Amino acid sequence: MSTLIPPPAAPQPPGWRMVRLLGTVSLICGILIVGTNLATSARIRHNQEIIMRDSVAELLPGIQKQIIYGVQASGDLKILPGLEEGGQRLFAGYDGSGRLIGIVIESNARGYADLISAMYSYSPEKQAITGFKVVDMRETPGLGDRVRSDPDFLKNFDDLDVRIVDGKPVNPVKVVKHGSKKNVWEIDAISGATISSRAVGKLIGTSVQDVLPVVRKNLERIERGE
Amino acid sequence: MSDQVSCHTTGAPEITAEGSPFLNGLWKQNPVFVMVLGMCPTLAITNSVRNAVSMGLATTFVMVVSYGLISMIRKLIPKQVRIATYIAILAMAVTVVDFLVKAVSIPIYLALGAYIPLIVSNCLTLERAEAYAGKQPVVKSMLDGLGMGFGFTLALTMLGAVREVLGAGTFLGVHVFSKNFEPWVLFLLPPGGFISLAMWLLFFAAWRERSAKRATERVEAQTGMAGAVEARA
Repeated sequence: MSTLIPPPAAPQPPGWRMVRLLGTVSLICGILIVGTNLATSARIRHNQEIIMRDSVAELLPGIQKQIIYGVQASGDLKILPGLEEGGQRLFAGYDGSGRLIGIVIESNARGYADLISAMYSYSPEKQAITGFKVVDMRETPGLGDRVRSDPDFLKNFDDLDVRIVDGKPVNPVKVVKHGSKKNVWEIDAISGATISSRAVGKLIGTSVQDVLPVVRKNLERIERGE
Repeated sequence: MSDQVSCHTTGAPEITAEGSPFLNGLWKQNPVFVMVLGMCPTLAITNSVRNAVSMGLATTFVMVVSYGLISMIRKLIPKQVRIATYIAILAMAVTVVDFLVKAVSIPIYLALGAYIPLIVSNCLTLERAEAYAGKQPVVKSMLDGLGMGFGFTLALTMLGAVREVLGAGTFLGVHVFSKNFEPWVLFLLPPGGFISLAMWLLFFAAWRERSAKRATERVEAQTGMAGAVEARA
């Protein structure tokens, strides 16, 4: 007759020991996370400002001087001293002789995954969009994220007609199926990334409707750089 | 199985601490093709080579750092609270990497930002903490993290290459086919991930079977020869 002997169980550590360990680990992890956040926040802010400045320079080649305007609720413009957070911002770019080259406008729209933040350059002379650049997004890698890099898609914004008459766009920006673009105010979507393409269309469309009339109204002031 | 943390029951051979921990993860116990772990990023982000490499390297960094820490305090952790401890350390490492990448370079962050938080929910990271780093010394654990990380990167890159070439007609963004090539968009979408993974797993299964067969043949030939020698004697 043999009796089954259960294997010896590991000794049960006292409860306070487990709580103490978990507490200590959480505390150390917390300190490391907050410490890294504090140590990197200035640098991250600096990097974002560089990205912003580079994006404006890329969208407005030949820029020598820029003035940042904030759009106020009343529809007026106010010169901002620096890259302050919040609110609709316009970056007016001037060449060496002080002539207005173009205006970079920030906008965002909900994409497939999250908000897509972008900037586009507007030429008051041509009344057209002359460039587009995504600043931040979380779109599906390989599909939606091509709105940032696909050269054929970006070609849409080399000369996108956004004429404003009586404070309204003449031809609202429209996203069309890949390969069926016929007019200069249409955006040719990326095949397989319709949602992200449409989001970009909305991003530009709403901004054209809301911000461009303000720009047209204040254009003389912007040209003078006041 | 009661003590093992694993989200897949793959019937993969048991992982032992024998051999070089680095080479083990890189090839023999490849996390994707042999252990079939970490399927979420494997299927979700391998639709281009660049994404695959970036995700693999970010995961490697998190694994090396957190396995070093886990191994350092492994003797202090009571068994009952080990998983909570591992998760806390992994989540900390992921958050720190997130901040650091943002501080070092915004373009890299833009390319990687969407995946970094995924690393903490990658079951490979927890599985190796449980199976290896919680039991082995610091250097060996970090080497295991490095090997597993590189093995993961390699596997992701192999999948990414198939999907990018077939799905977009490019490799690392460079066109590899003539202009007449119509990209097979399916390969960029989730089903393409499953199809390419299945192709690679099939390849590895056939390869393993072949090498096992060869090994048996070799043993048989040797015993046969020994038998002949005995008979002659």
